[in-house]
Amino acid sequence: MSKLREKILNTASLLFQTQGINSTGVDTIVAEAGTTKMTLYKYFNSKELLILEVLKQGHQDFQTWLNDKLSANSKKPSEKLQKLFDYIEEWITSPDFHGIGFMKASAEFPQEDNPVHQLSTEQSLQFREYIKRLATEANIKDAEGLSLQLSLLFKGAVQAEQMQRGSDAIKYAKKAAKILIDGALAQ
Amino acid sequence: MLAKSSKSPQDRLLNLFDILEDWLLAPNLQKTTELHYQPSPILVNYCTEQAKSLGAENPIVLAEHIVLIAQSAAVQSMEHPNSNSMMHAKKAAEALIQGQTQKAGVLQKLKRVRPISYAIAASLLIMIGVGAMWLPTIIHSQHPQLQMAHSATPANRASEHLSSENKALTAIDASKMYAKYELMRQGTCQFPEALQIPDKHKAIYLENVVGGKLPSDLDDLAIANFYLEKIRCNFTPMLMATSK
Repeated sequence: MSKLREKILNTASLLFQTQGINSTGVDTIVAEAGTTKMTLYKYFNSKELLILEVLKQGHQDFQTWLNDKLSANSKKPSEKLQKLFDYIEEWITSPDFHGIGFMKASAEFPQEDNPVHQLSTEQSLQFREYIKRLATEANIKDAEGLSLQLSLLFKGAVQAEQMQRGSDAIKYAKKAAKILIDGALAQ
Repeated sequence: MLAKSSKSPQDRLLNLFDILEDWLLAPNLQKTTELHYQPSPILVNYCTEQAKSLGAENPIVLAEHIVLIAQSAAVQSMEHPNSNSMMHAKKAAEALIQGQTQKAGVLQKLKRVRPISYAIAASLLIMIGVGAMWLPTIIHSQHPQLQMAHSATPANRASEHLSSENKALTAIDASKMYAKYELMRQGTCQFPEALQIPDKHKAIYLENVVGGKLPSDLDDLAIANFYLEKIRCNFTPMLMATSK
């Protein structure tokens, strides 16, 4: 990836997270990135394409970070599942946390036929599938159900944190997740 | 009817999921999956009160989280009707309650009683565009308790409102309606005599206003709301009530 493209992508990502996607104009992005509109459109044909790329990058960063943490610190599949919310808490409470891209984008683009909304929905499903995979590997009978319960807890905690930093919602979500996971493992 | 809702605070919190599921399954409601991420303050306040009664460590966080989960599950349920998302959302909420109240062990078996929490669930419908007909008195009321005592000719007014079509239920309407139910719950209420009500409305009045069951049919809903406005309540001052 060219350095300029990467700079535009990172600048846009930060601005979208901190100021909102719709309220961040292309002019602001190019000014902050120290480039021109022409260059931005050379790499990204439209603002919509830029948004989609930012979302893809953000989701990949989150998934890769989480997966690496779990793989490095857990031996058994059940341990991965049990530590999932420890790392989610670490991500959410880090000073750099500004929200989860696919959740913010989904709220800003509620129309179902909008490509940004569609990608957000897809990423939300991908995350649930990821949890389901962890649950399946841990031999949970109702992996589908548990993944839905955990993803709802996750989304609720992220939304609470997006509304107010330091809300403690993730702390209680982690406790609740433990109750659900322990219950499912015992079945 | 509202007094019938006095189950345990945990039941009141968790009944929201059953009620919302009923709403989502109702055949005549027009639904969209547009989601408002800010939970209704009135609903959060109500849930906070229940969470306080439960002795939750952080009642506000618990209340907000439960409302957010319910909203998210409602959208999920509309997008994937066979996902059982409400049931799973309820389990997640139960675990949150348990986590905040330090109750270990078997989760409390829930009763399938759905009292007037139907009204509270209406607040949840802020994120669901329900094509419904709501009374202007609800929409414009600044003081729901005063509006309860206003007079009108039931049959004429109900018919008049039925002629207006598809007014979407907004957060404000739902919140005000909820506030009215909450006020009624705290008072002794007098219901209009069924004899004074036109025959065609009697069944709806008895079942949906006196009985506390929210109708799924939009026409019935408009009629039920109309009669709801006619109920007069006396309120015992809080100090007197608590000193009993």
